[in-house]
Amino acid sequence: MNRLVLNPAVVLAALFAAIPLAPAFAHTGSGVSLGLESGFLHPLTGPDHLVAMVAVGLWGAQLGNPAIWVLPITFPLVMAVGGLLGVLGMPLPFVEPIIAVSGIALGTMVAFSVRPPLWVAATLVGVFAIFHGYAHGRELPEAADAIAFAVGFVIATGLLHLTGILIGVLVGYEAGAKVVRACGAAIGCVGVYFLLGAVGVIG
Amino acid sequence: MMRGPRLLATAAALACAVAFVPDTAHAHLVDTRLGDFYSGALHPLTDLQQVLPWIALAVLAAFQGAQRARWIILVFPLALAIGGIASLAVPLPSFGPLLGLVLVAVTGLAVAAAARLPLGVLLAIAVVMGLLHGAQNGAAMVATTDRLLFLSGMTAVGYGVITLATGSAIAFLHGAPWRPIALRAGGSWVAAVGIMVLGLHLVRPVAG
Amino acid sequence: MSGRAFIARAATAGTSAKPDAATSPAGGVRLGGRALLAPFAALGGLAAALLCLVVGLLVPATMARAHEATMAVITLREIAPGRFIGQWTMPPVDLSLQPIFPPHCTWEPPELVCGARGLTGQLSFMGLGSKQSVATIRVIPHEGPMEVYTVSAAKPTVMAARDPGTDLAVWRDLAETYVNLGIDHILRGIDHLLFVLGLIWLVKGGWKLVKTITAFTVGHSISLAAATFGWVGVPERPLNAAIALSIVFVGVEIVKLQRGEVGLTARYPWTVAFAFGLLHGLGFATALTTLGIPQATLPIALLFFNVGVEIGQLTFVAVVLALLWAHRQAQALLPRWGAAIPAYVIGSVASYWFLLRI
Repeated sequence: MNRLVLNPAVVLAALFAAIPLAPAFAHTGSGVSLGLESGFLHPLTGPDHLVAMVAVGLWGAQLGNPAIWVLPITFPLVMAVGGLLGVLGMPLPFVEPIIAVSGIALGTMVAFSVRPPLWVAATLVGVFAIFHGYAHGRELPEAADAIAFAVGFVIATGLLHLTGILIGVLVGYEAGAKVVRACGAAIGCVGVYFLLGAVGVIG
Repeated sequence: MMRGPRLLATAAALACAVAFVPDTAHAHLVDTRLGDFYSGALHPLTDLQQVLPWIALAVLAAFQGAQRARWIILVFPLALAIGGIASLAVPLPSFGPLLGLVLVAVTGLAVAAAARLPLGVLLAIAVVMGLLHGAQNGAAMVATTDRLLFLSGMTAVGYGVITLATGSAIAFLHGAPWRPIALRAGGSWVAAVGIMVLGLHLVRPVAG
Repeated sequence: MSGRAFIARAATAGTSAKPDAATSPAGGVRLGGRALLAPFAALGGLAAALLCLVVGLLVPATMARAHEATMAVITLREIAPGRFIGQWTMPPVDLSLQPIFPPHCTWEPPELVCGARGLTGQLSFMGLGSKQSVATIRVIPHEGPMEVYTVSAAKPTVMAARDPGTDLAVWRDLAETYVNLGIDHILRGIDHLLFVLGLIWLVKGGWKLVKTITAFTVGHSISLAAATFGWVGVPERPLNAAIALSIVFVGVEIVKLQRGEVGLTARYPWTVAFAFGLLHGLGFATALTTLGIPQATLPIALLFFNVGVEIGQLTFVAVVLALLWAHRQAQALLPRWGAAIPAYVIGSVASYWFLLRI
């Protein structure tokens, strides 16, 4: 039996894979899969959100310990607070400009490989998380299946973080560190573009 | 060298999981095939509000170490079965959906914090969750459903998911330091879902 | 009718050994009930599950034949290739009962036009319910023997088939039908699953398990083919009793192994698996032959059915191995005093079936 040791990661992965498959067979499944799909696509369809999410992962990787684990764990919770504000319909000013600004800020941090104290980094990311969550939260009441929508955008956001972290692993190499900083610069540029769009200068 | 393929496998599985959803969106009656045992087994899996906290509970148990975790393999399915049987006699409590969402948030938060809980607290969460979900699934039975088969199927799948998730999480926790962090981040996401949908429920109660 | 709805047809076919049993939903139910408790019983420690198992064994058995059916028969006579005239030879009690033909056919009573593909595909009835629980379609082709398709509340659709030739659509229909039927049959066949579980328990795992399961597969494929083609015929009751006895044997072997004795299975695992595979294959065959498949499609139907059985069996083996692995990870193993409980449960359940079936 010892020879037949299953790879735990594979088992876990298979398990995760099986879960969203299962709802597809449901009699009530259409709501669930619709919700999952629209939720999953929501963060991916807003390029400003998308790049900023990747930037969070990149920066986390660049900052190293302890940011690399503090950020992924606290980000969802802070985002949930923003989401709550959105769900409750609280008015929050300048949502789109602030998201664009945080994209610029995060991109800049990555591009110049800035290493502020953890609380500064956490605050910056936290502000962004609240506004990002707020934008999702506003969509939640319209979703076909609220929990499926939430799970969908959470998976998408988590994968974007993971993408950033995986790219960020390159910082271990000299050339890789440059690539990461270049990514940060690109993200900053995208942020500038959307900021101009948000305040009505272009588009 | 091992980490790459594993990560890849995990990512690929997640990608598949997501990719398959829209394709199979045209749901059909599960009840017509394989009988009521299997429809009972599939029913909880169709509800993310149940599967999500199950996995979170299993991971939470795994954080307590195998010696404690193993108890939920016994306790949770039992509670599920009792809840299912109870649904035959007692109507669903009106606070059911609310409690369900609170459980999502609580288990998620506990995983995010990698909380070390006394065994009693862990089992209490398992029992409350089992009873609630058992009753919710049981209430989904219609007049023509074979109750014994449906409830057995539900219990079997509860046992299967909890056992596999607990075992996998325990195995996964051995090794590199990023692994507990990955699970905690996952728990944090579960908590985020729970908190947001809970907020929505308080504003505008959702069915379920 | 889209592909997935098609699956429904295979629904409950697997469980009922006899046509009259198919008319009673509880007949199917009883078998399924035992089946799915198998992982519990074997993995032990779940008193509730065992309790359910016992209740499942005792209660539905008494309800099995409680439901009497009223028949309705419609006869379709082929007057030209692909054209039929339909008539109720036994009119339904419930007048709203209507046959549903495959989508490529047009049904304007009394005429049914199916074109070049002929009457192939899914047959069903609208309005089957409490008043009318069973209905039959009899097809008298231009040439060849009459075919009879019976639809019941427990088995809401059946498949009409003919020699597929080169028609890809018919091949797909056949594959979908019989693969699903095979999966359905094995996953509801608690006695087969229990036997496979016993084998896993005995052989533990690794390469030896692969060989044993393969031998079992080869065995039941051979005898399934032999029985389906009518080369061998075994009366159903003794066969089912023998299958039950084979599970008792495995239970005994497990207990022997735990006491440190080297039993027959431990010594020659794949020979034993092959021999019992032959026996279980005959059991699978009854599920297939009671469907009344036309001779022309029999080899193909058999092939796909067998593929379905293998898919179901491998899925079951994978789930059991994964659960065993998870139990070891969680150190949730049976205490020393309880190690023999699963074997005794398997043994006593199977003995009970044996007594029930002789």
